[in-house]
Amino acid sequence: MVAHDEVTMRLTQVLGDAAAATLRRVLERLIPADDWPDGWQAGCGAYLAQQLDGDLADWVPRYRAGLAALDAEAQLRHQRAFVDLAPDAADALLHDVEHGTVRAEWPIDAAAFFAGAVDHAAEGFYSDPANGGNRGGIAWQMLGFVVTG
Amino acid sequence: MSHYDVIVVGAGAGGGVAAGVLAESGRSVLVLERGVHQGYADERRDHLRNHRLARYGHSTGPALNGHPRVFVDPAGVVQSVRPFDPGYHNNAMAVGGGTLVYGAQAWRFLPQDFRMAQEYGVPAGSSLADWPLTYDDLAPDYERAEWDVGVAGDSVGARRIWPRARDYPLPPVPHCGIAPALAHAADALGWPHLIPPLLINTEPRHGRAACTGCQHCVGFACPVDAKNGTQNTVIPRGLATGRLTLQPGAFVDQIDVTPAGHVRGVRYIDASGQVRHATADVVVVSAGAIETARLLLHSRSAAHPAGLGNRHDQVGRHLQGHYYPRAIALMPEPVYDGVGPGVSIATTRFNHGNDGVIGGGMLANDFIVLPVIFWRGLVPPEVPRWGAANKEFMRRNYRHVAQVMGPVQDIPNPEARVTLDPAVRDRHGMPVVRLSGTTHPETVRTAEFMWRRAHEWLQAAGAVRTWGPPPGLTLSAGQHQAGTCRMGHDPRSSVTDANGRVHGHDNLYIADASLHVTNGGFNPVLTVMALAFRVARAIASR
Repeated sequence: MVAHDEVTMRLTQVLGDAAAATLRRVLERLIPADDWPDGWQAGCGAYLAQQLDGDLADWVPRYRAGLAALDAEAQLRHQRAFVDLAPDAADALLHDVEHGTVRAEWPIDAAAFFAGAVDHAAEGFYSDPANGGNRGGIAWQMLGFVVTG
Repeated sequence: MSHYDVIVVGAGAGGGVAAGVLAESGRSVLVLERGVHQGYADERRDHLRNHRLARYGHSTGPALNGHPRVFVDPAGVVQSVRPFDPGYHNNAMAVGGGTLVYGAQAWRFLPQDFRMAQEYGVPAGSSLADWPLTYDDLAPDYERAEWDVGVAGDSVGARRIWPRARDYPLPPVPHCGIAPALAHAADALGWPHLIPPLLINTEPRHGRAACTGCQHCVGFACPVDAKNGTQNTVIPRGLATGRLTLQPGAFVDQIDVTPAGHVRGVRYIDASGQVRHATADVVVVSAGAIETARLLLHSRSAAHPAGLGNRHDQVGRHLQGHYYPRAIALMPEPVYDGVGPGVSIATTRFNHGNDGVIGGGMLANDFIVLPVIFWRGLVPPEVPRWGAANKEFMRRNYRHVAQVMGPVQDIPNPEARVTLDPAVRDRHGMPVVRLSGTTHPETVRTAEFMWRRAHEWLQAAGAVRTWGPPPGLTLSAGQHQAGTCRMGHDPRSSVTDANGRVHGHDNLYIADASLHVTNGGFNPVLTVMALAFRVARAIASR
């Protein structure tokens, strides 16, 4: 298990300050908190920190570009950073990005980037904790998936 | 250079059986397996890198880099693919092959499956053909596979479906999860059903433990070694004779033959990267339907310019696998009980005798579905992929969702094929496999029929609703890959005779699913094993 501040540090090293903060907020919205933790709390950031240094290394430039464009999208629409958007506004913006409805300059395909990020968040949330996410098996507790042997 | 009575290329379902039987019959046997000897202890039980979900790789070989294939999709787009890409059509490469990580369903094909052309006629554009042997011919070898490798099954139910001389050696797994509801529904629909036969110890047997019902069966190695593959049955028995030499990490790239076609031996690259040669009186190729075809095609010489057994351009054609139409259901009550392997009810009602379609297939409930696989494939299409609604669907319904699916008998297409790519080579410099074509459109029609039956079954079981997409036209191969060196009496339309001996070569045999003329509406592994017993017996009686 990796502490949150260490995850932030690792993601900041890979993506830069602003993008790391945006990523955290994205993970909080892709898998929002209810009675159970949100994506960031459950370790999706730790999952990505591990993967961006491994099998998803080729996604590092995509995350840098996509997260910067997401922030630009927020500035264009709301004159503030993505991390400062209210949940509803953040979700509405993400919904548009999901469908490729963007106004800012995107150096990569917005919808494809978003689809990848959604996959990665779910992989971090629902896969085995050895992949870095699903902190303490919290997502499996939520589902009632119990490993017996 | 070492000389052996027999060299077997590949230690999977077919090669493992052939090697074990031949060693026990007194032959000296060298088994060259490109994968490594591994087991549960070597595996991280990685939910993203296994043989059920290979997002970033596998738990077995081949290595991710240096072993590409070229895949030509139905639209004609050509791309290089890595082992975990869907277009690769990977099968586990390890000692035991797919049997190390399989779900272990142990079905016999039905009598009609061996005479599909006779039963249905040959649709235009298809290479559908009858086997050169019958169910009755293969039945003793099915029985031997069931007893020597170890099948747990519902003997009473099975006797209603197949002519059988002997019961299964082990009792079946219990009904679990959705099975009671599906059994009730099948009874109401008038569909006979049974507990699927599995190559799993339901009781301790031959010094190994019984299944503990864990949640990581299909796609993973067994934590208590209760799953019966060649790696823990016939191969160890062969090794115990002292006559079997198992060499993992050895990649065969050439079969050496005389101009007259007599096989002298093989060339291979060992685990240290050294090129080596070994000679034998007989060579058996058991590399799986894709790699076996590749090896025969690549073993070219002046006297055999098209490769071995390929005088009539048959090697690599008729590539088959299985469509898996499926239905997913939301059930009113929890149906997840957490007891693996999970598959515990099936019907063979629709394998044949379906109006207006050719063949059919078996339907069964699914294995336990791991959470991330559930998220990827079992959430209804109208539920958002992210956000509160997605999380809520997962939380509320993981234990309420069940799936029915099954393999549909492929109608072979000669243009669904394995060839050697003219440009791309692997890390050893050998041309890689190029996969192209699709199954015959009749397969899609049959799959649509079976897709409706799957929905019908779950609806009759009380589903609140069902979903799951209908099948589309594609290449089928995958873990059930078959048909690329099919058996037959006529060398113009087949590659081997009814004993797996390659036409035109007196001492070259095949023992894997390449031999399958058709692939049944069932998981094919028990047929692979039964044929390997048959091929090995033919070699032993030379």
